Amino acid sequence: MTDFFQMYGWKLAEAVLVHLYYVVISVALAFIIAVLMAVVLSRLPRLSRVILPAVSVSQTIPGIVFIGVLFIFLGMVPLTVFTALTIYAIFPILKNTYVGIMEVEPQYKEAALGCGMSARQTLCMVELPLAAPAIFTGLKMSCVYTVSWAVLASMIGLGGLGEFIYIGVSTNNNALILAGAIPAAVMAVILSYCIERLKIRSLTWQQRREIQ
Amino acid sequence: MIRFENVRKSYKKTTVLNNVNFEIEAGTFTVLIGPSGCGKTTSLKMINRLIEPDAGRILIKGEYIHSLDRIRLRRSIGYVIQQIGLFPNMTVEQNIAVVPKLLKYQPAQITDMVHELLAMVKMPYKDFAGKYPYQLSGGQQQRIGVLRALAASPPIILMDEPFAALDPMTRSSLQDEVKNLQQQLNKTIVFVTHDMDEALNLADKIIFLDKGNIVQMASPEEMLENPATNLIRSFMGKRIGGPDQPPEYAADFMRTNYHRVNKNKGIRECIESMDRNNVDSLLVVNDDKTYAGTVSLKTLKNSAKSGVFALKRKGSDGKLHHVITPHVTCERPTSFIDEEARVCFEKLLETDSRYVVVLNHDDTIAGIVTDTSVAKALADVFWSDEI
Repeated sequence: MTDFFQMYGWKLAEAVLVHLYYVVISVALAFIIAVLMAVVLSRLPRLSRVILPAVSVSQTIPGIVFIGVLFIFLGMVPLTVFTALTIYAIFPILKNTYVGIMEVEPQYKEAALGCGMSARQTLCMVELPLAAPAIFTGLKMSCVYTVSWAVLASMIGLGGLGEFIYIGVSTNNNALILAGAIPAAVMAVILSYCIERLKIRSLTWQQRREIQ
Repeated sequence: MIRFENVRKSYKKTTVLNNVNFEIEAGTFTVLIGPSGCGKTTSLKMINRLIEPDAGRILIKGEYIHSLDRIRLRRSIGYVIQQIGLFPNMTVEQNIAVVPKLLKYQPAQITDMVHELLAMVKMPYKDFAGKYPYQLSGGQQQRIGVLRALAASPPIILMDEPFAALDPMTRSSLQDEVKNLQQQLNKTIVFVTHDMDEALNLADKIIFLDKGNIVQMASPEEMLENPATNLIRSFMGKRIGGPDQPPEYAADFMRTNYHRVNKNKGIRECIESMDRNNVDSLLVVNDDKTYAGTVSLKTLKNSAKSGVFALKRKGSDGKLHHVITPHVTCERPTSFIDEEARVCFEKLLETDSRYVVVLNHDDTIAGIVTDTSVAKALADVFWSDEI
């Protein structure tokens, strides 16, 4: 055990950081894109009936295929990884945010209009805060998925925890496989816990209502 | 203050408003009333431009509202809706402060205003300002809804059936509070309702709409005295022409849901039915539906125990059953439907029967008079609509 850490310790720490870096950047980009898209789509329900199913179908393309194709065009650069991960991370956030906004009860929108809020004020002061629980749920799902998809980065030689897993699989070394898999699993759990805390903290009213 | 000039509105083929003209004076309480679909809510929502008319013009203080900025217009008019619509993500204080914040009032000024407004409805700032809407009762929520509309002290307040979802007690106390606030602050209130009592309580002027036309526009007193059409008369209901004729016959006091069986029913079946319905006797009828008497749970149970059965009849399943006929008695007091109620009461009070059987003149059963049916009939006279 100690031998293992002496041999791979620094490498493992580096892989964890690289992995986390891929996840955080991709999810952050996806979050911005997805929320903007959801807001636009919620104003254009007719368009969203076409776009949402299309995006949902694109999710079924295996990540390994997608990252391979991107590799051909973009080469062995981190941009390839970010692009692939971001695109995959968009959908859960987009879908949840869209549903969250659409499900805001009409009485609140009418009250907002009647109070003289502009469309933008209605969005920021009423619709997005009320959709927040759904948005956070989407963010959490995205995070957990992205942690597992980021393993694919090593397929095109760009490191991360996937490297341990691939080397472990190809050299039949179980210790290496576990050294990649366990930190990835722990990372997913910790990230989703952090988002859950964030969600609860930002939603005192909602939380209290649920407890009641 | 507010003037409608030849306002029309239709959705596809249905005409919602058909050339409506009226004027609302400053500082008055105007109620728009009428059956559903009459155009009252549409008219209200045109005042703050939530709905635009197809033709015609609306003026506020001599200005055509269609040339004003829609958002600025709405901030200058208070608006209370039926579903209350307090923002659930904001505290009471934040909800009240919505419009002043949109108008960029100073924070200190806003806090002062919230204090003042909460004091007006006797909801202490320290107890309520930090609460969220779900922590309030329906009545408290709508009080805050009204305060939100008052917050930026708009001269005009629109209310769209604001108390329809509240219980009668809360509704009447909120009506009083709103009427007081209106008079104290000298606001112009336009109020939509379908409840004539509410209209009569609150209004200085009632505008009665039907199918997009104004049927009558009058003060409550005038409308009570001279309702223009039968529709208005029916809306007034019991408020017109003094109280109803007091009930005076047995029929006025009886209830018509009672448990009745044919005299050829089986004993066991009757016992089960009484147990199930939680009654201790049944009315028994002959084959021609005329009254035969009553049968009590106690006699049937005793007869079942003693095993003495005089009569057997073929039941619906083809087997022989012991029937209730021998146990039917005619001891219960009876009244005819047009017997004076007083005589009927005496029978109820002087015998130890729990009810009096009321018969039609052909001896069929019309109903029964019990303690509760009497109490209910009397309550109906005193509080006609509320029970």
